[in-house]
Amino acid sequence: MINFTDVKKVYPSGTHALNGITMHISKGEFVFIVGASGAGKSTLIKMLLREEVPSSGLVEVNGINLNKMKRRQIPYFRRSLGVVFQDFRLIPTMSVYENVAFALRVTNVSGRDIKRRVPYILNLVGLVHKARAMPEQLSGGEQQRVALARALVNNPSLIIADEPTGNIDPELSFEIVDLLSEINRVGTTVVMVTHEHDLVAQFQRRVITIEAGRVLSDTAAMEVF
Amino acid sequence: MRGSSFGYLIRVGIRSVFRNRLMSFAAIGVLIACLMLIGMAGLLSLNVNSIIGYLEDQNEIIVFVEDGTDQQGLENLDLDLHSVDNIIEVVLVTKEETLENYKQRLGEDGELLDYFDSDIPFPDAYQVRVDDLARLDDTIATISGLENVLKVNAPTDIASTIVSIRQAVYIGGAGIVIILAVVALIIIANTIKITVFNRRKEINIMKFVGATDTFIRLPFIVEGMMLGLIAATLAFFIVWGGYEYFISWMIGSQSSLFAMFYDQMIPFVDIALWMFGAFAGAGVFIGVGGSMIFVRKYLKV
Repeated sequence: MINFTDVKKVYPSGTHALNGITMHISKGEFVFIVGASGAGKSTLIKMLLREEVPSSGLVEVNGINLNKMKRRQIPYFRRSLGVVFQDFRLIPTMSVYENVAFALRVTNVSGRDIKRRVPYILNLVGLVHKARAMPEQLSGGEQQRVALARALVNNPSLIIADEPTGNIDPELSFEIVDLLSEINRVGTTVVMVTHEHDLVAQFQRRVITIEAGRVLSDTAAMEVF
Repeated sequence: MRGSSFGYLIRVGIRSVFRNRLMSFAAIGVLIACLMLIGMAGLLSLNVNSIIGYLEDQNEIIVFVEDGTDQQGLENLDLDLHSVDNIIEVVLVTKEETLENYKQRLGEDGELLDYFDSDIPFPDAYQVRVDDLARLDDTIATISGLENVLKVNAPTDIASTIVSIRQAVYIGGAGIVIILAVVALIIIANTIKITVFNRRKEINIMKFVGATDTFIRLPFIVEGMMLGLIAATLAFFIVWGGYEYFISWMIGSQSSLFAMFYDQMIPFVDIALWMFGAFAGAGVFIGVGGSMIFVRKYLKV
Protein backbone atom coordinates (compact mmCIF):
# COMPACT_ATOMS: atom_id res chain seq x y z
CA MET A 1 0.00 0.00 0.00
CA ILE A 2 2.61 2.52 1.12
CA ASN A 3 6.31 2.14 0.44
CA PHE A 4 8.99 4.61 1.53
CA THR A 5 12.49 3.67 0.40
CA ASP A 6 15.32 5.74 1.87
CA VAL A 7 13.30 8.95 1.52
CA LYS A 8 15.20 12.17 2.15
CA LYS A 9 13.86 15.68 1.98
CA VAL A 10 15.86 18.89 2.12
CA TYR A 11 13.80 22.07 1.81
CA PRO A 12 15.16 25.02 -0.20
CA SER A 13 15.75 26.77 3.15
CA GLY A 14 18.31 24.06 3.95
CA THR A 15 16.19 22.26 6.56
CA HIS A 16 16.72 18.52 6.54
CA ALA A 17 13.17 17.30 7.22
CA LEU A 18 13.59 13.64 6.40
CA ASN A 19 16.92 11.84 6.62
CA GLY A 20 16.32 8.46 5.01
CA ILE A 21 12.94 7.01 5.96
CA THR A 22 12.22 3.44 4.96
CA MET A 23 8.87 1.92 5.88
CA HIS A 24 6.23 -0.33 4.48
CA ILE A 25 2.53 -0.23 5.32
CA SER A 26 0.33 -3.03 3.97
CA LYS A 27 -3.23 -2.84 2.79
CA GLY A 28 -5.74 -2.97 5.63
CA GLU A 29 -3.29 -1.87 8.36
CA PHE A 30 -3.94 0.76 11.03
CA VAL A 31 -0.72 2.62 11.80
CA PHE A 32 0.06 5.38 14.28
CA ILE A 33 2.94 7.63 13.33
CA VAL A 34 4.23 9.42 16.41
CA GLY A 35 7.04 11.83 17.11
CA ALA A 36 7.78 15.21 18.64
CA SER A 37 7.04 18.35 16.66
CA GLY A 38 9.74 18.94 14.08
CA ALA A 39 10.45 15.23 13.77
CA GLY A 40 9.28 15.19 10.16
CA LYS A 41 5.70 13.94 10.51
CA SER A 42 4.20 16.79 8.49
CA THR A 43 6.67 16.31 5.67
CA LEU A 44 5.83 12.64 5.65
CA ILE A 45 2.12 13.44 5.22
CA LYS A 46 2.94 15.91 2.46
CA MET A 47 4.80 13.17 0.63
CA LEU A 48 1.82 10.83 0.91
CA LEU A 49 -0.47 13.51 -0.55
CA ARG A 50 2.05 14.32 -3.27
CA GLU A 51 2.24 17.89 -1.98
CA GLU A 52 6.02 17.47 -1.84
CA VAL A 53 8.36 15.17 -3.69
CA PRO A 54 11.44 13.67 -2.02
CA SER A 55 14.90 15.08 -2.67
CA SER A 56 16.00 11.47 -2.99
CA GLY A 57 14.47 8.08 -2.39
CA LEU A 58 11.21 6.56 -3.53
CA VAL A 59 7.59 7.08 -2.40
CA GLU A 60 4.97 4.61 -3.61
CA VAL A 61 1.27 4.70 -2.74
CA ASN A 62 -1.18 2.14 -4.13
CA GLY A 63 1.60 0.88 -6.36
CA ILE A 64 2.07 4.29 -7.97
CA ASN A 65 5.48 5.94 -7.97
CA LEU A 66 4.64 9.44 -6.74
CA ASN A 67 8.03 10.83 -7.77
CA LYS A 68 7.13 10.32 -11.41
CA MET A 69 3.54 11.50 -11.19
CA LYS A 70 2.60 14.31 -13.60
CA ARG A 71 0.92 17.42 -12.25
CA ARG A 72 -2.35 16.81 -14.01
CA GLN A 73 -2.55 13.28 -12.58
CA ILE A 74 -2.38 14.49 -8.97
CA PRO A 75 -6.12 15.28 -8.59
CA TYR A 76 -7.06 11.79 -9.76
CA PHE A 77 -4.55 10.21 -7.38
CA ARG A 78 -5.93 12.22 -4.45
CA ARG A 79 -9.44 10.93 -5.12
CA SER A 80 -8.22 7.52 -3.92
CA LEU A 81 -7.26 9.06 -0.55
CA GLY A 82 -9.26 10.45 2.33
CA VAL A 83 -7.57 13.17 4.36
CA VAL A 84 -8.44 14.51 7.80
CA PHE A 85 -6.61 17.50 9.27
CA GLN A 86 -6.14 18.80 12.78
CA ASP A 87 -8.00 22.01 11.94
CA PHE A 88 -10.95 20.15 10.29
CA ARG A 89 -10.81 22.40 7.20
CA LEU A 90 -14.55 22.63 6.75
CA ILE A 91 -15.98 25.38 4.56
CA PRO A 92 -17.73 27.72 7.04
CA THR A 93 -20.30 28.97 4.53
CA MET A 94 -21.58 25.49 3.73
CA SER A 95 -23.86 23.23 5.75
CA VAL A 96 -22.68 19.85 7.04
CA TYR A 97 -24.42 18.16 4.12
CA GLU A 98 -22.84 20.51 1.58
CA ASN A 99 -19.38 20.10 3.08
CA VAL A 100 -19.57 16.37 2.54
CA ALA A 101 -21.31 16.63 -0.84
CA PHE A 102 -18.60 19.09 -1.89
CA ALA A 103 -15.99 16.31 -2.06
CA LEU A 104 -18.23 14.44 -4.48
CA ARG A 105 -19.19 17.47 -6.54
CA VAL A 106 -15.62 18.46 -7.24
CA THR A 107 -14.90 14.96 -8.46
CA ASN A 108 -17.71 14.94 -11.00
CA VAL A 109 -20.11 12.61 -9.22
CA SER A 110 -23.70 12.78 -10.45
CA GLY A 111 -26.37 14.57 -8.40
CA ARG A 112 -28.28 11.33 -7.88
CA ASP A 113 -25.25 9.55 -6.44
CA ILE A 114 -24.58 12.52 -4.16
CA LYS A 115 -28.12 12.36 -2.75
CA ARG A 116 -27.67 8.68 -2.04
CA ARG A 117 -24.13 8.68 -0.72
CA VAL A 118 -24.02 11.72 1.60
CA PRO A 119 -26.82 10.68 4.02
CA TYR A 120 -25.33 7.20 4.19
CA ILE A 121 -21.92 8.53 5.21
CA LEU A 122 -23.42 11.07 7.65
CA ASN A 123 -25.28 8.22 9.26
CA LEU A 124 -22.01 6.31 9.53
CA VAL A 125 -20.39 9.12 11.55
CA GLY A 126 -23.60 9.65 13.53
CA LEU A 127 -24.41 13.14 12.26
CA VAL A 128 -27.34 12.61 9.96
CA HIS A 129 -29.54 14.70 12.27
CA LYS A 130 -27.14 17.66 11.90
CA ALA A 131 -27.04 17.63 8.11
CA ARG A 132 -28.47 21.14 7.87
CA ALA A 133 -26.32 22.65 10.62
CA MET A 134 -23.45 24.99 9.83
CA PRO A 135 -19.94 24.04 11.01
CA GLU A 136 -19.83 26.85 13.61
CA GLN A 137 -22.88 25.33 15.33
CA LEU A 138 -21.02 22.09 15.95
CA SER A 139 -18.57 21.05 18.65
CA GLY A 140 -14.94 20.28 17.73
CA GLY A 141 -15.61 16.55 17.86
CA GLU A 142 -18.63 16.89 15.61
CA GLN A 143 -16.73 19.05 13.16
CA GLN A 144 -14.01 16.44 12.95
CA ARG A 145 -16.64 13.79 12.29
CA VAL A 146 -17.91 15.89 9.40
CA ALA A 147 -14.35 16.11 8.09
CA LEU A 148 -14.07 12.36 8.47
CA ALA A 149 -17.34 11.90 6.58
CA ARG A 150 -15.95 14.07 3.80
CA ALA A 151 -12.79 11.96 3.72
CA LEU A 152 -14.83 8.76 3.53
CA VAL A 153 -17.46 9.77 1.04
CA ASN A 154 -15.26 9.01 -1.98
CA ASN A 155 -14.73 5.47 -0.72
CA PRO A 156 -10.95 5.81 -0.40
CA SER A 157 -8.62 2.86 0.00
CA LEU A 158 -6.39 4.91 2.32
CA ILE A 159 -7.28 7.38 5.08
CA ILE A 160 -4.59 9.82 6.17
CA ALA A 161 -5.33 11.54 9.47
CA ASP A 162 -2.96 14.35 10.44
CA GLU A 163 -3.36 14.94 14.19
CA PRO A 164 -7.13 14.50 13.91
CA THR A 165 -7.60 14.79 17.67
CA GLY A 166 -5.31 17.76 18.21
CA ASN A 167 -8.16 20.26 18.64
CA ILE A 168 -10.63 18.01 20.43
CA ASP A 169 -11.39 17.21 24.07
CA PRO A 170 -9.73 13.96 25.17
CA GLU A 171 -12.98 12.05 25.67
CA LEU A 172 -14.11 12.99 22.17
CA SER A 173 -10.70 12.09 20.74
CA PHE A 174 -11.39 8.52 21.70
CA GLU A 175 -14.58 8.61 19.65
CA ILE A 176 -12.76 9.77 16.55
CA VAL A 177 -10.10 7.08 16.75
CA ASP A 178 -12.81 4.55 17.46
CA LEU A 179 -14.53 5.65 14.28
CA LEU A 180 -11.25 5.30 12.37
CA SER A 181 -10.92 1.79 13.78
CA GLU A 182 -14.42 0.95 12.54
CA ILE A 183 -13.46 2.16 9.08
CA ASN A 184 -10.25 0.14 9.25
CA ARG A 185 -12.21 -2.97 10.19
CA VAL A 186 -13.99 -2.96 6.82
CA GLY A 187 -10.65 -2.91 4.98
CA THR A 188 -9.58 0.71 4.62
CA THR A 189 -5.94 1.38 5.42
CA VAL A 190 -5.55 4.10 8.07
CA VAL A 191 -2.42 6.15 8.76
CA MET A 192 -2.83 8.45 11.74
CA VAL A 193 -0.23 10.97 12.83
CA THR A 194 -0.48 11.94 16.47
CA HIS A 195 1.54 12.85 19.54
CA GLU A 196 -1.07 11.77 22.07
CA HIS A 197 0.46 8.79 23.78
CA ASP A 198 -2.71 7.99 25.73
CA LEU A 199 -4.58 7.27 22.55
CA VAL A 200 -1.74 5.22 21.11
CA ALA A 201 -1.55 3.17 24.27
CA GLN A 202 -5.30 2.66 24.40
CA PHE A 203 -5.73 1.36 20.86
CA GLN A 204 -2.80 -1.03 20.67
CA ARG A 205 -1.89 -0.71 17.01
CA ARG A 206 1.34 -0.67 15.03
CA VAL A 207 3.35 2.41 16.00
CA ILE A 208 6.09 3.99 13.90
CA THR A 209 8.11 6.52 15.86
CA ILE A 210 9.90 9.22 13.94
CA GLU A 211 12.70 11.31 15.31
CA ALA A 212 14.91 13.81 13.50
CA GLY A 213 13.70 12.58 10.14
CA ARG A 214 14.43 8.91 10.80
CA VAL A 215 12.40 5.90 11.90
CA LEU A 216 13.35 5.44 15.55
CA SER A 217 11.19 2.40 16.21
CA ASP A 218 8.51 0.35 14.52
CA THR A 219 6.50 -1.79 16.92
CA ALA A 220 3.93 -4.23 15.65
CA ALA A 221 0.34 -4.21 16.89
CA MET A 222 -0.38 -6.23 19.99
CA GLU A 223 -3.35 -8.47 19.74
CA VAL A 224 -5.86 -7.21 22.29
CA PHE A 225 -8.95 -9.05 21.20
CA MET B 1 -17.12 17.54 -17.56
CA ARG B 2 -20.57 16.41 -16.55
CA GLY B 3 -23.48 18.76 -17.26
CA SER B 4 -24.65 18.78 -13.65
CA SER B 5 -21.14 19.70 -12.44
CA PHE B 6 -20.99 22.50 -14.96
CA GLY B 7 -24.33 23.84 -13.74
CA TYR B 8 -23.09 23.56 -10.16
CA LEU B 9 -19.95 25.54 -10.93
CA ILE B 10 -21.94 28.28 -12.65
CA ARG B 11 -24.24 28.48 -9.61
CA VAL B 12 -21.27 28.67 -7.23
CA GLY B 13 -19.76 31.48 -9.30
CA ILE B 14 -22.99 33.48 -9.37
CA ARG B 15 -23.64 32.90 -5.67
CA SER B 16 -20.16 34.16 -4.90
CA VAL B 17 -20.97 37.52 -6.49
CA PHE B 18 -23.82 37.95 -4.01
CA ARG B 19 -21.97 36.45 -1.07
CA ASN B 20 -19.14 38.96 -1.45
CA ARG B 21 -21.68 41.75 -1.82
CA LEU B 22 -19.46 44.57 -0.65
CA MET B 23 -16.51 43.62 -2.84
CA SER B 24 -18.76 42.98 -5.79
CA PHE B 25 -20.54 46.29 -5.24
CA ALA B 26 -17.25 48.17 -5.08
CA ALA B 27 -15.86 46.42 -8.15
CA ILE B 28 -19.02 46.94 -10.16
CA GLY B 29 -19.19 50.59 -9.10
CA VAL B 30 -15.64 51.40 -10.12
CA LEU B 31 -15.98 49.37 -13.28
CA ILE B 32 -19.14 51.25 -14.21
CA ALA B 33 -17.31 54.54 -13.70
CA CYS B 34 -14.45 53.37 -15.93
CA LEU B 35 -16.73 52.00 -18.61
CA MET B 36 -18.82 55.19 -18.54
CA LEU B 37 -15.74 57.33 -19.05
CA ILE B 38 -14.55 55.01 -21.79
CA GLY B 39 -17.98 55.18 -23.39
CA MET B 40 -18.10 58.97 -23.14
CA ALA B 41 -14.60 59.33 -24.55
CA GLY B 42 -15.57 57.00 -27.36
CA LEU B 43 -18.80 58.86 -28.09
CA LEU B 44 -17.04 62.21 -27.99
CA SER B 45 -14.37 61.18 -30.46
CA LEU B 46 -16.89 59.47 -32.72
CA ASN B 47 -19.03 62.59 -32.81
CA VAL B 48 -16.16 65.01 -33.26
CA ASN B 49 -15.05 62.77 -36.09
CA SER B 50 -18.50 62.87 -37.60
CA ILE B 51 -18.70 66.67 -37.31
CA ILE B 52 -15.24 67.06 -38.78
CA GLY B 53 -16.21 64.71 -41.57
CA TYR B 54 -19.17 66.97 -42.22
CA LEU B 55 -16.97 70.07 -42.24
CA GLU B 56 -14.59 68.25 -44.50
CA ASP B 57 -17.41 67.55 -46.92
CA GLN B 58 -18.09 71.27 -47.08
CA ASN B 59 -14.66 71.90 -48.54
CA GLU B 60 -14.67 73.28 -52.01
CA ILE B 61 -11.80 73.84 -54.35
CA ILE B 62 -12.38 76.13 -57.28
CA VAL B 63 -10.30 75.36 -60.35
CA PHE B 64 -10.31 78.30 -62.76
CA VAL B 65 -9.86 77.45 -66.39
CA GLU B 66 -7.60 79.49 -68.66
CA ASP B 67 -9.42 81.88 -70.90
CA GLY B 68 -9.94 80.72 -74.43
CA THR B 69 -10.00 77.02 -73.63
CA ASP B 70 -12.25 75.33 -76.20
CA GLN B 71 -14.85 72.65 -75.60
CA GLN B 72 -12.32 69.88 -76.25
CA GLY B 73 -9.90 71.41 -73.72
CA LEU B 74 -12.69 71.54 -71.10
CA GLU B 75 -13.58 67.92 -71.68
CA ASN B 76 -9.94 66.91 -71.36
CA LEU B 77 -9.60 68.84 -68.10
CA ASP B 78 -12.79 67.24 -66.82
CA LEU B 79 -11.31 63.80 -67.49
CA ASP B 80 -7.99 64.78 -65.93
CA LEU B 81 -9.72 66.02 -62.76
CA HIS B 82 -11.72 62.81 -62.45
CA SER B 83 -8.53 60.81 -62.67
CA VAL B 84 -6.99 62.52 -59.61
CA ASP B 85 -7.56 59.92 -56.88
CA ASN B 86 -8.36 62.24 -53.98
CA ILE B 87 -11.15 64.01 -55.90
CA ILE B 88 -14.65 62.73 -55.30
CA GLU B 89 -16.77 65.29 -57.13
CA VAL B 90 -16.23 67.53 -60.15
CA VAL B 91 -18.83 70.08 -61.22
CA LEU B 92 -18.36 72.42 -64.17
CA VAL B 93 -19.50 75.99 -63.61
CA THR B 94 -19.44 77.81 -66.93
CA LYS B 95 -18.76 81.51 -67.15
CA GLU B 96 -22.41 82.04 -68.13
CA GLU B 97 -23.55 80.33 -64.96
CA THR B 98 -21.16 82.42 -62.90
CA LEU B 99 -22.54 85.58 -64.42
CA GLU B 100 -26.06 84.41 -63.75
CA ASN B 101 -25.15 83.71 -60.11
CA TYR B 102 -23.79 87.24 -59.68
CA LYS B 103 -26.89 88.72 -61.26
CA GLN B 104 -29.10 86.83 -58.88
CA ARG B 105 -27.03 87.91 -55.95
CA LEU B 106 -27.40 91.55 -56.91
CA GLY B 107 -31.16 91.20 -57.24
CA GLU B 108 -32.72 94.14 -59.06
CA ASP B 109 -29.33 95.70 -59.57
CA GLY B 110 -28.35 92.60 -61.50
CA GLU B 111 -29.44 94.38 -64.65
CA LEU B 112 -26.23 96.31 -64.37
CA LEU B 113 -24.36 93.17 -65.39
CA ASP B 114 -26.32 92.78 -68.60
CA TYR B 115 -23.55 94.85 -70.10
CA PHE B 116 -21.20 91.85 -69.86
CA ASP B 117 -23.48 89.40 -71.62
CA SER B 118 -21.44 89.48 -74.81
CA ASP B 119 -18.03 89.45 -73.17
CA ILE B 120 -18.09 87.69 -69.79
CA PRO B 121 -15.16 88.68 -67.57
CA PHE B 122 -15.25 85.45 -65.53
CA PRO B 123 -13.36 82.31 -66.42
CA ASP B 124 -14.98 78.90 -66.64
CA ALA B 125 -14.40 76.96 -63.44
CA TYR B 126 -14.70 73.53 -61.83
CA GLN B 127 -15.96 73.03 -58.31
CA VAL B 128 -14.02 70.11 -56.92
CA ARG B 129 -14.46 68.26 -53.63
CA VAL B 130 -11.68 66.18 -52.14
CA ASP B 131 -11.94 63.09 -49.99
CA ASP B 132 -9.02 63.45 -47.61
CA LEU B 133 -8.19 66.95 -46.46
CA ALA B 134 -4.83 65.84 -45.14
CA ARG B 135 -3.69 65.38 -48.72
CA LEU B 136 -5.11 68.70 -49.86
CA ASP B 137 -1.74 70.30 -50.62
CA ASP B 138 -0.67 67.43 -52.86
CA THR B 139 -4.00 67.47 -54.63
CA ILE B 140 -3.74 71.22 -55.27
CA ALA B 141 -0.26 70.74 -56.67
CA THR B 142 -1.51 68.00 -58.99
CA ILE B 143 -4.43 70.11 -60.18
CA SER B 144 -2.20 73.14 -60.75
CA GLY B 145 -0.05 71.02 -63.03
CA LEU B 146 -2.96 70.05 -65.30
CA GLU B 147 -3.33 71.58 -68.74
CA ASN B 148 -5.53 74.69 -69.13
CA VAL B 149 -5.64 75.37 -65.38
CA LEU B 150 -5.43 79.07 -64.63
CA LYS B 151 -5.55 79.07 -60.85
CA VAL B 152 -6.65 76.91 -57.92
CA ASN B 153 -8.48 78.41 -54.97
CA ALA B 154 -8.60 76.21 -51.88
CA PRO B 155 -9.30 76.68 -48.14
CA THR B 156 -5.87 75.41 -47.08
CA ASP B 157 -5.89 77.11 -43.66
CA ILE B 158 -9.21 75.60 -42.63
CA ALA B 159 -8.12 72.26 -43.98
CA SER B 160 -4.97 72.12 -41.90
CA THR B 161 -6.91 73.15 -38.77
CA ILE B 162 -9.47 70.41 -39.33
CA VAL B 163 -6.79 67.83 -39.90
CA SER B 164 -5.00 68.70 -36.68
CA ILE B 165 -8.24 68.72 -34.67
CA ARG B 166 -9.05 65.28 -36.00
CA GLN B 167 -5.63 63.97 -35.07
CA ALA B 168 -5.87 65.42 -31.58
CA VAL B 169 -9.30 63.91 -31.00
CA TYR B 170 -8.20 60.56 -32.33
CA ILE B 171 -5.04 60.36 -30.23
CA GLY B 172 -6.68 61.85 -27.13
CA GLY B 173 -9.70 59.56 -27.38
CA ALA B 174 -7.62 56.47 -27.91
CA GLY B 175 -5.31 57.45 -25.05
CA ILE B 176 -8.21 57.92 -22.61
CA VAL B 177 -9.79 54.64 -23.62
CA ILE B 178 -6.54 52.73 -23.20
CA ILE B 179 -5.73 54.25 -19.79
CA LEU B 180 -9.22 53.60 -18.44
CA ALA B 181 -9.26 50.08 -19.83
CA VAL B 182 -6.05 49.34 -17.95
CA VAL B 183 -7.51 50.83 -14.75
CA ALA B 184 -10.66 48.72 -15.12
CA LEU B 185 -8.54 45.64 -15.68
CA ILE B 186 -6.51 46.22 -12.55
CA ILE B 187 -9.65 46.77 -10.46
CA ILE B 188 -11.38 43.60 -11.59
CA ALA B 189 -8.19 41.60 -11.24
CA ASN B 190 -7.83 42.94 -7.68
CA THR B 191 -11.39 42.01 -6.77
CA ILE B 192 -10.79 38.51 -8.00
CA LYS B 193 -7.51 38.45 -6.12
CA ILE B 194 -9.34 39.29 -2.88
CA THR B 195 -12.07 36.75 -3.58
CA VAL B 196 -9.44 34.13 -4.26
CA PHE B 197 -7.61 35.09 -1.07
CA ASN B 198 -10.84 34.86 0.95
CA ARG B 199 -11.47 31.45 -0.46
CA ARG B 200 -7.94 30.09 -0.33
CA LYS B 201 -9.01 27.54 2.31
CA GLU B 202 -11.77 26.35 0.06
CA ILE B 203 -9.33 26.05 -2.83
CA ASN B 204 -6.95 24.14 -0.57
CA ILE B 205 -9.71 21.72 0.44
CA MET B 206 -10.71 21.27 -3.18
CA LYS B 207 -7.14 20.34 -3.99
CA PHE B 208 -7.09 17.69 -1.26
CA VAL B 209 -10.33 16.05 -2.29
CA GLY B 210 -9.01 15.78 -5.83
CA ALA B 211 -10.56 18.64 -7.80
CA THR B 212 -8.81 19.43 -11.05
CA ASP B 213 -7.38 22.90 -11.61
CA THR B 214 -9.95 23.64 -14.30
CA PHE B 215 -12.74 22.76 -11.91
CA ILE B 216 -11.34 25.06 -9.23
CA ARG B 217 -10.92 27.95 -11.64
CA LEU B 218 -14.31 27.90 -13.26
CA PRO B 219 -16.35 29.53 -10.46
CA PHE B 220 -13.84 32.38 -10.31
CA ILE B 221 -14.03 32.83 -14.04
CA VAL B 222 -17.82 32.88 -13.82
CA GLU B 223 -17.63 35.41 -10.99
CA GLY B 224 -15.32 37.68 -12.97
CA MET B 225 -17.58 37.37 -15.97
CA MET B 226 -20.64 38.21 -13.88
CA LEU B 227 -19.00 41.32 -12.45
CA GLY B 228 -17.96 42.40 -15.92
CA LEU B 229 -21.37 41.75 -17.45
CA ILE B 230 -23.34 43.46 -14.67
CA ALA B 231 -21.12 46.53 -14.83
CA ALA B 232 -21.19 46.54 -18.63
CA THR B 233 -25.00 46.41 -18.72
CA LEU B 234 -25.47 49.17 -16.16
CA ALA B 235 -22.79 51.38 -17.72
CA PHE B 236 -24.34 50.84 -21.14
CA PHE B 237 -27.76 52.08 -20.07
CA ILE B 238 -26.35 54.99 -18.09
CA VAL B 239 -24.29 56.14 -21.07
CA TRP B 240 -27.29 55.67 -23.34
CA GLY B 241 -29.53 57.73 -21.09
CA GLY B 242 -26.92 60.44 -20.68
CA TYR B 243 -26.34 60.64 -24.41
CA GLU B 244 -30.03 60.94 -25.24
CA TYR B 245 -30.39 63.60 -22.57
CA PHE B 246 -27.47 65.53 -24.03
CA ILE B 247 -28.93 65.40 -27.53
CA SER B 248 -32.33 66.59 -26.37
CA TRP B 249 -30.59 69.40 -24.49
CA MET B 250 -28.81 70.31 -27.73
CA ILE B 251 -32.11 70.47 -29.58
CA GLY B 252 -33.60 72.64 -26.87
CA SER B 253 -30.73 75.11 -26.80
CA GLN B 254 -30.84 78.08 -29.14
CA SER B 255 -27.19 77.94 -30.14
CA SER B 256 -26.77 78.03 -33.91
CA LEU B 257 -23.55 76.05 -33.56
CA PHE B 258 -25.43 73.15 -31.95
CA ALA B 259 -28.17 73.43 -34.53
CA MET B 260 -25.57 73.09 -37.24
CA PHE B 261 -23.98 70.03 -35.67
CA TYR B 262 -27.13 68.33 -34.51
CA ASP B 263 -27.60 66.48 -37.78
CA GLN B 264 -24.08 65.19 -37.52
CA MET B 265 -24.55 63.57 -34.09
CA ILE B 266 -24.41 59.80 -34.31
CA PRO B 267 -27.69 58.21 -33.15
CA PHE B 268 -26.99 55.97 -30.15
CA VAL B 269 -28.76 52.97 -31.65
CA ASP B 270 -26.22 53.00 -34.49
CA ILE B 271 -23.43 52.15 -32.08
CA ALA B 272 -25.40 50.52 -29.25
CA LEU B 273 -24.68 46.96 -30.26
CA TRP B 274 -21.05 47.68 -30.91
CA MET B 275 -20.65 49.46 -27.58
CA PHE B 276 -22.43 46.80 -25.56
CA GLY B 277 -20.35 44.14 -27.27
CA ALA B 278 -17.15 46.01 -26.41
CA PHE B 279 -18.23 46.52 -22.77
CA ALA B 280 -19.31 42.93 -22.29
CA GLY B 281 -16.28 41.60 -24.14
CA ALA B 282 -13.96 43.66 -21.97
CA GLY B 283 -15.74 42.45 -18.81
CA VAL B 284 -15.49 38.81 -19.79
CA PHE B 285 -11.89 39.14 -20.92
CA ILE B 286 -10.89 40.82 -17.67
CA GLY B 287 -12.80 38.29 -15.58
CA VAL B 288 -11.25 35.29 -17.25
CA GLY B 289 -7.76 36.82 -17.37
CA GLY B 290 -7.84 37.98 -13.76
CA SER B 291 -8.98 34.66 -12.36
CA MET B 292 -6.46 32.75 -14.45
CA ILE B 293 -3.63 34.77 -12.99
CA PHE B 294 -4.62 34.87 -9.33
CA VAL B 295 -6.04 31.41 -8.76
CA ARG B 296 -2.84 29.89 -10.11
CA LYS B 297 -0.97 31.03 -7.00
CA TYR B 298 -3.17 28.91 -4.73
CA LEU B 299 -3.23 25.93 -7.03
CA LYS B 300 0.36 25.01 -6.28
CA VAL B 301 -0.48 22.52 -3.57
